[in-house]
Amino acid sequence: MSKRKARDAHLPVGECIKQVQQILRERFCERRLPDRLEGVEAQYKHLLELLRRTAIHGESNSVLIVGPRGAGKTTLLQCVLRDLQKEEKVQKNLLQVHLNGLLQTDDRIALKEITRQLHLENVVGDKVFGSFAENLAFLLEALKKGNRSSSCPVLFVLDEFDLFAHHKNQTLLYNLFDVSQSAQAPIAVVGVTCRLDVLELLEKRVKSRFSHRQIHLLSSLNFTQYLERVWTQLSLPDSFPDKKFAQEWNAGVKTLCEDKSVEEVLQRHFNSSKDFRSLHMLLMLCLSRVSVAKPTIKPADLLEASRMCFADTTANMLHGEYKSYQRSVFYPWSEDSK
Amino acid sequence: MECVHIDFIVCFWSSRNEKENWKVHFYSFAISVEGLSKIIINTGQDIFIEGCDEDNPYVAKVTRLYGDENGQQMKAVVQWFIRVSELPVNKLKLLGREPHPQEIFYYECRNCDNEVNVESILRPVKHLDSNDPFPDSADKDTLYVKLSWDSKVFRVVNSTVVESPAEPAPASSPPSSTPRGPSRRVLPTPDHAIMHKASLGEVGCSSVGTPANVEAESLHSATKLSASKCLSAKRRNATARTPGVRKRLELSSECLHKDFKMQPLCRTREQQGYIYISNTKSSEVENEKSPMVTETPRSSKRKSAMLVSSRIKKQLNLLENHQDPNSSGEEEDEFVPSKNDLLSSSEEEGQDEDGPNIDDQVSAKKFRYVATGSRNSRSKQKSYSSARTQRRTPAKKISPGTPQTPRHATPSIPIRSLQTQQPANILEEARARLHVSSVPESLPCREQEFQDIYSFVESKIVDNTGGCMYISGVPGTGKTATVHEVIRCLQHAADMDEIPSFHFIEINGMKMTDPHQAYVQILQKLTGQKATPDHAAVLLEKRFSNLAPRKETIVLLVDELDLLWTRKQNVMYNLFEWPARRHARLVVLTIANTMDLPERIMINRVASRLGLTRMSFQPYSFKQLQEIIMSRLNKLKAFEEDALQLVSRKVAALSGDARRCLDICRRATEICEHSAADPSSTGLVGMSHVMEALNEMFSSAYITAIRCASTQEQLFLRAVITEFRRLGLEEATFQQVFVQHQALCRIEGLKPIGVSEGLAVCQRLGACRLLLLEPSHLGVLQRIRLNVSQDDIFYALKAD
Repeated sequence: MSKRKARDAHLPVGECIKQVQQILRERFCERRLPDRLEGVEAQYKHLLELLRRTAIHGESNSVLIVGPRGAGKTTLLQCVLRDLQKEEKVQKNLLQVHLNGLLQTDDRIALKEITRQLHLENVVGDKVFGSFAENLAFLLEALKKGNRSSSCPVLFVLDEFDLFAHHKNQTLLYNLFDVSQSAQAPIAVVGVTCRLDVLELLEKRVKSRFSHRQIHLLSSLNFTQYLERVWTQLSLPDSFPDKKFAQEWNAGVKTLCEDKSVEEVLQRHFNSSKDFRSLHMLLMLCLSRVSVAKPTIKPADLLEASRMCFADTTANMLHGEYKSYQRSVFYPWSEDSK
Repeated sequence: MECVHIDFIVCFWSSRNEKENWKVHFYSFAISVEGLSKIIINTGQDIFIEGCDEDNPYVAKVTRLYGDENGQQMKAVVQWFIRVSELPVNKLKLLGREPHPQEIFYYECRNCDNEVNVESILRPVKHLDSNDPFPDSADKDTLYVKLSWDSKVFRVVNSTVVESPAEPAPASSPPSSTPRGPSRRVLPTPDHAIMHKASLGEVGCSSVGTPANVEAESLHSATKLSASKCLSAKRRNATARTPGVRKRLELSSECLHKDFKMQPLCRTREQQGYIYISNTKSSEVENEKSPMVTETPRSSKRKSAMLVSSRIKKQLNLLENHQDPNSSGEEEDEFVPSKNDLLSSSEEEGQDEDGPNIDDQVSAKKFRYVATGSRNSRSKQKSYSSARTQRRTPAKKISPGTPQTPRHATPSIPIRSLQTQQPANILEEARARLHVSSVPESLPCREQEFQDIYSFVESKIVDNTGGCMYISGVPGTGKTATVHEVIRCLQHAADMDEIPSFHFIEINGMKMTDPHQAYVQILQKLTGQKATPDHAAVLLEKRFSNLAPRKETIVLLVDELDLLWTRKQNVMYNLFEWPARRHARLVVLTIANTMDLPERIMINRVASRLGLTRMSFQPYSFKQLQEIIMSRLNKLKAFEEDALQLVSRKVAALSGDARRCLDICRRATEICEHSAADPSSTGLVGMSHVMEALNEMFSSAYITAIRCASTQEQLFLRAVITEFRRLGLEEATFQQVFVQHQALCRIEGLKPIGVSEGLAVCQRLGACRLLLLEPSHLGVLQRIRLNVSQDDIFYALKAD
């Protein structure tokens, strides 16, 4: 049957499957930002407005994005930045500095990285990277010289914000927040963290300088929304080259989601965790079972994937089931070829 | 052993004022450092006076020299000139043109001490006050006076004040022959009229003979510069000098002396002058002198002048190539560093320049003044010697022809390509005004504190004294803002000429990487110099302990004082010690959060120096917060009255932090803007908007986070509480909790989860800090504690 469809659309089924694998894998591995965020519209709007004001009006701001792991904090920020860059007023008016608490483990490294990302090291040749103290003075001087109306706004993104709070004296945070609260170059400080108690980590004077804006990403999704989410995640976009195949695939996904056993499995996943990363993991395992010989996802695939996700690896190893587990995870096609 | 001697050559009158004691007035004196050149300073001569910057000493003209009755304290009354670099940067624009680097200004300000100790005089210098354009020559030692500066405006200098050179050299003579006899330069002919004036007690000033030929002069001055540098270095290191150096110096001076056996004509004239002046002196002096009064033919003067100039040229070459140790021939080579060569060659120069004067001094009646090691001078020397070791490396690096990286690169953020948009509506306008960064016209609610700080600083500035003040208060209560406001007002007062001008410096403990960087920053803001922390400390110490002339009061603001804490507390100690120095004229305002910081972290000697001038900023009350917002909004109708009151009451109850208050108001305007589509809204920020903003900022996210957690996570939290209840402890291992969890799963009708899944659930809760966990490598044995109260969890789960 599938062969006939493929011939109609002038695309061999192998090509279609390849396309499907590519699109969905990109989606599940979070290589590609979703076109539209679901469930976090308010937060999206808040952040977008905030950053736009920095870019256009030169208003300094600071904000924290807080939410559990896998809740889509970084995705939200990336989407906002992508959409901001589309606006012409913003495009040339926003410098970005991305820091990660796991990479910039102390202020010295962080300062060097900031200088590098702002391309300030070109200004002075090899002189900048003298000492830490010089570097700090240099950067502060640079920021102080600017003013609200003339200098280019700078966006500082601090990933794993809580780790920056462990730096000595919180010098970097103090200075960034202080700049954001004084009439210097306009900056926006966006912290991304999963810790709910992050404000308690900040020193009094640092805390006072922070604007206390927090964007919480806590998904209050119920099970029907979760199911819908699974369905949208698995379905192919309208832009898929082979329309017939896409329709077929989407219909297959719909029947899959309505299946009783599938629903049960998903319910169990939903009970365990609501984050999207674990869902993507599950769907990825299903997807890897799709081949030319079996061009749809069957409920059995999902059950098997779920079994693998929940497998207690320690216990399995003790039971001697590790080998079979390993084979099924890493070489899923071996069963098909049998 | 002290090696600096100051000999007063000529004493020509003594006077007695009604109020003063007997003073012995001098016409000139010689500074000599043992084993080194002598420099003779005359009344009316321009001199360099030791300042805080070695390369740019102060410039002044000696108007009077005197010593007190027992000859112990020698003073010079001077007329100051001010350098371009000493002028405040913001006043430079009044000049209306680029200042010449060698330009100096006649200083007409009356508020500075014009009496200096003669020990601080370095060497003579000369200035030109012609109206000609500046010559292009990069002469380091000729200064130009065109304008006068009275701390407000530049004026064209009055030529009667700064007299023109009295003794112009023949302009027609070729450069090679014009270098004047050294003795003539340093011992100008005293003038009858001036002496008369001086004897009448007037501030007389004669002018030094300044040769017209700049080029020839530059040869002199370049060597002189090095000679004087060497002299000052010599002074500093006087105690540390080794006999070896001495020996060598004698050797080199010996070998040079034979060139100068003939003394030029002009000397006789001077000596005649001496005799004339010192008619009160004993005849013995005259007798001593008379054999030396010899007539020499004019040709010999020329010859000797040529000899001198060729000598100088040779020396200059030698200076440039001082890397070559063997260039000076007979010298012993036991001192390897090239620094020594520089030292010795310039000393030689000093020797042969001033050689003849030594003879003069023999004949003149001597007043030997040996500088006694007072507290100041001792500490100075100590600091000097260490300063010099610091300087050595950079001094060596500077070689002519090597391109240097710019010392002061100007960092800046790129300019934006599009203009900022102006606020379009009332809410945007209000938001811009409510931003913490927008500086209000006046600071409401801190009138009392403002007044106190203002009067403190003002009194110190007016009295030319120093002092410390400690300001404390929780964050966001306007400490820094108030101090800045005070400084702004004082600057204004200084501009209006109500108080003497002062220099304001600000450092922040948080904006430096290490407490010792405070020295570096203070020094850089004070003088623009860059130095290592140790060197900067030494330089500052010197600056604040010296009787440095012409200093304006420095107001130093130290923000976040607690960050300057070190184990030995030497940074704090110095900051509080300096204002107490007699001549420091330093006012230190310190700011920190805690009221009892001096008692808590400072050791006694530091706390005692900080003194008891303290001020504490109370958190704002709700009325004050309301006033602050109102004043910022400045009659802009954007908020409902009740809404403002709610915000200020809420913030006052929690922290009294004005920043927080402004942030909430700003957020409320945003919320209002988003809900503007609602037709019932009035366009003003109302209660509902403020409530929403308050909730966003003050409510804890824990409850919401628990509600949004997955079923298993919620169950796990319940299992934790159940286990705590069972154990009667606030801590349990994962193992124990997991047993409870599985039981709960069965009760709830869910399929029990495996250990791995349970651990994953536990880790997720730990990452959010709903639970506090031990490191995960402990596996099932890791201990668990709650980071939220049990009541919160029950509340969150019950409402579900």
